[in-house]
Formats: sequence, C-alpha cells, structure tokens
Amino acid sequence: MEESVLKRIARGEQRAVSECIDQFGNLIWALARRLSRTRADAEDAVQEIFIDLWRSAGRFDPAQGSEKVFITTIARRRLIDRLRRTAQEPARESTEALDAAGFAEPGTRGEVCVEAEQAARAVARLKPEQQKVLELGILHGLSHSEIAAKTGMALGTVKTNMRRGLIEVRELMETLGAQAAGGSRS
Amino acid sequence: MSDAILRNERLLDLLVKQATDGVTSAEQLELDRLLARHDGADPQFIERIAAALSLAGDLPDEALPAGLRARIEAQALKELPAAPSNVTALRPRSTERPHSGGGRLGWLAAAACLVLAVTAWWPRLRDMVEPPARVTQMPPRELSAAEQRLALLQNGATVSHADWSNTDDPGSQGVKGDVVWDNNTQRGFIRFTGLAANDPKQSQYQLWIFDARRDDRYPIDGGVFDIPPNAAEVVLPINARLAVNEPAAFAVTIEKPGGVVVSAREHVVALAKIAPG
Repeated sequence: MEESVLKRIARGEQRAVSECIDQFGNLIWALARRLSRTRADAEDAVQEIFIDLWRSAGRFDPAQGSEKVFITTIARRRLIDRLRRTAQEPARESTEALDAAGFAEPGTRGEVCVEAEQAARAVARLKPEQQKVLELGILHGLSHSEIAAKTGMALGTVKTNMRRGLIEVRELMETLGAQAAGGSRS
Repeated sequence: MSDAILRNERLLDLLVKQATDGVTSAEQLELDRLLARHDGADPQFIERIAAALSLAGDLPDEALPAGLRARIEAQALKELPAAPSNVTALRPRSTERPHSGGGRLGWLAAAACLVLAVTAWWPRLRDMVEPPARVTQMPPRELSAAEQRLALLQNGATVSHADWSNTDDPGSQGVKGDVVWDNNTQRGFIRFTGLAANDPKQSQYQLWIFDARRDDRYPIDGGVFDIPPNAAEVVLPINARLAVNEPAAFAVTIEKPGGVVVSAREHVVALAKIAPG
C-alpha cells in the first residue's frame, strides 16, 4: 500500500511537498475561496494552512479518516479563525459560484472521498431547516448569529439545528459506513 | 470514544461551536478543561463531520495560483527540516482561538517613542570574506543561530537591518539588539540583550512583522519565544507565518502562553523600524 504523503512530509521528505500541493492544493484553495472575504485573504489563508499542515502532518491517523478530511479539518479551523477575526470588516466579495454553493446530490461525491459521499447522502436525509443551517454555517462560513439573521430563526434554534444536524449526519455516516462494509464483505 | 462527549451537553455545544463558529479564548479554556475530564475521548470528531460536509458541498473550480504555489513551496523548505538542536527557534503561535483585537493606540503610542533614522543597510562584507577552507573529513556542524545571522549579514544582498528601540513599557527598559531580515529569502534573525527572562507558564514574547503592503491592524505573526534566565545575548531565527512583501517594522509584545492571533498591544517591549529600501 502506498505510504501517505502526510507521513512522508512528517519525516521531512521534501519531495513529498510538491506531491502534497499537487494532490491537495486545489482543494485548499477552493475551501479558502469559499470561506474568505477576498481573494487576497484567501491567498494569506492558504499559506497559513500549508504551514499548519507541514507542522501537523505527523498527527495524521488513517484510522480516523482520509487525508482529505484531515486536511480539510486543518483548513477549516484556520479559515474560521480568520473569518471571525475580521468579522467587523466589510462583507465578503460576492460571486455567483460562491453564493450558490450547496450540498451536492448524493452519488456525485464519491470521487472526492468516501466521507464526502457519505456526508452528501446523510445530509440529504435531514430536515430542511437542519440542511439550511448546515449549508449556511459549513459551506458559506456564516456565524450562528449571521445564520439567525439570514433565516429569521432564533439563535437558539440555529444552535439546536446545527448540533442535531451534525450528530444525525455522524450517525447516518456510521450507518452508511457499516452498510458499505457489510456489502463489501458479502 | 465520543459517546461520553455526547452525554455532556456543554462540552458538545463547545465542540460544535469550535467546528462551525469558532470559540473565544475563554471558551477554549473551558473546552480544554472539560476535555481533560474525558481522557481518551476524541475531541475532533465534530470537526471531522464538518470537514466531510464541507467536502460534500460544491467547491469553486479554480486551480491554486502558480505564484501562490511558489510561495508555499519556498515556505515549506524553511519548515520541513527539523530545527537544529542548538538553535532556539521561534515557535508558531498555538492554535488559540481569536479574542478581542486591540486598538491601534497602543502601537501608535509605542511608535511615537521610536527612535527614527537609525536604520541603515548593513555593510556588505561579501567581498571581504575569504573562500571557505575545504574540510572533508568532519561532518558539517550545524551553525548556531548567531552564526547563521552573521552569515546572512555577510551574504545577503538584500538584507535589512534595524536596531530595537525602547518603548514606555517597563519591560522595554534596557532592551537592546537588532533585527536582520532578508526579504528575498524570507529569512531573518532577532537579537536581544537586556530582555527580561519570562516564565513560559505565565507569558511569552511574540514577534510581529508589519508589512507595508498589508493592513497594519493585522501584522504578520512572527511566532512566540522565551528568554531564559541569565541569558547574556539571545539570537533567534524569525518564523514568519506569511510571506512578507515589504517589511516596515518589527515589534515584540508580551502575550499569554502560546501567543495570540490579534494582540491587544498592551505590552510592546521592542520596536524596530526598517528604512524604506
């Protein structure tokens, strides 16, 4: 089995850097464009995310998920930090592609990674209000207060929908994972 | 397992907030305390669900810009090799959540104390350096930070150099030293004498880099560092979190352990202004 590029980076293998950027650079850039106020912010964010990545590559544990999920977790943490830090600044640049972002249809994210496909299937089974809160919070990076203002929901309702939505997605993903494992065994 | 976390309402609320909304410093402390009671729990399972959902969404179809890629690769070359054991490197700030940013008054007041016009280009010594002796039997010794600094001064064609200036902060009294920065290679060193030893459990020093092409409310984080007791002179390599376009000034603040994202700028203990090139 091919060794994880993150493990090779953790060992200081410089050749793995280019491979890592080849594999994940576009993904990190896409996440940064979606969760940054401006293109310049996104460029700064991507540099910070890669520094975080070089420093935390050794923590990657394939038993806990794919490299894409590990990297996305690191990227999101940095991007949320930056979004909240600049919360008082003018609204984000608006582009049609970014504004229209929504969850993909189930069955279309398999090429990204297993977790993405499971998540797409899981979120499609949630109540519409939970889907909306997750979409605005996770895909568009809106704070809970911003979601409340945009949807007219009470802040407490937003928090409840966010929490229940995430837990239900987790349970559904576990079920889908177990079904897939069962199917592959039979 | 995360089941124990699921039964703790407050802990779960904080993990959801961390993954979707960000947490304040106070919330982060509370989160750390609660997690400490759940030894063996997986504190990132909510963040991983959020990440999977992120990947389940539509993503902009844009390639990473080539110039940005080049900067990332250059930064990686600085990051990947393990720091030499005899160099006390500046460490990255901890992944502390943001808290309230400070105003500009602190910086302005400190900047008002800045002694101007002391910066100068360091004499270029390249022509005076003798060719290195050829020694092939011994493995190369890692250069100390002080030696690396000197080498940078001698070899860097684009090296900026500025002395630290004192501020009104009590922690600034008697602080001397300088900053050396090569913008081409994005490498540099800070040197201090007279900077008080700190207790890393109570506070740490944090370096900030002001870039003339960036908003000065958000200087680049240069990492946190400590001054050991009885240190005569301390030389540290600079660890800039972002590419520096046009260095305008360097500043050192006292912050809580691990450093901060945005400094309240209450204790500015050293400032160095780079003369425009």
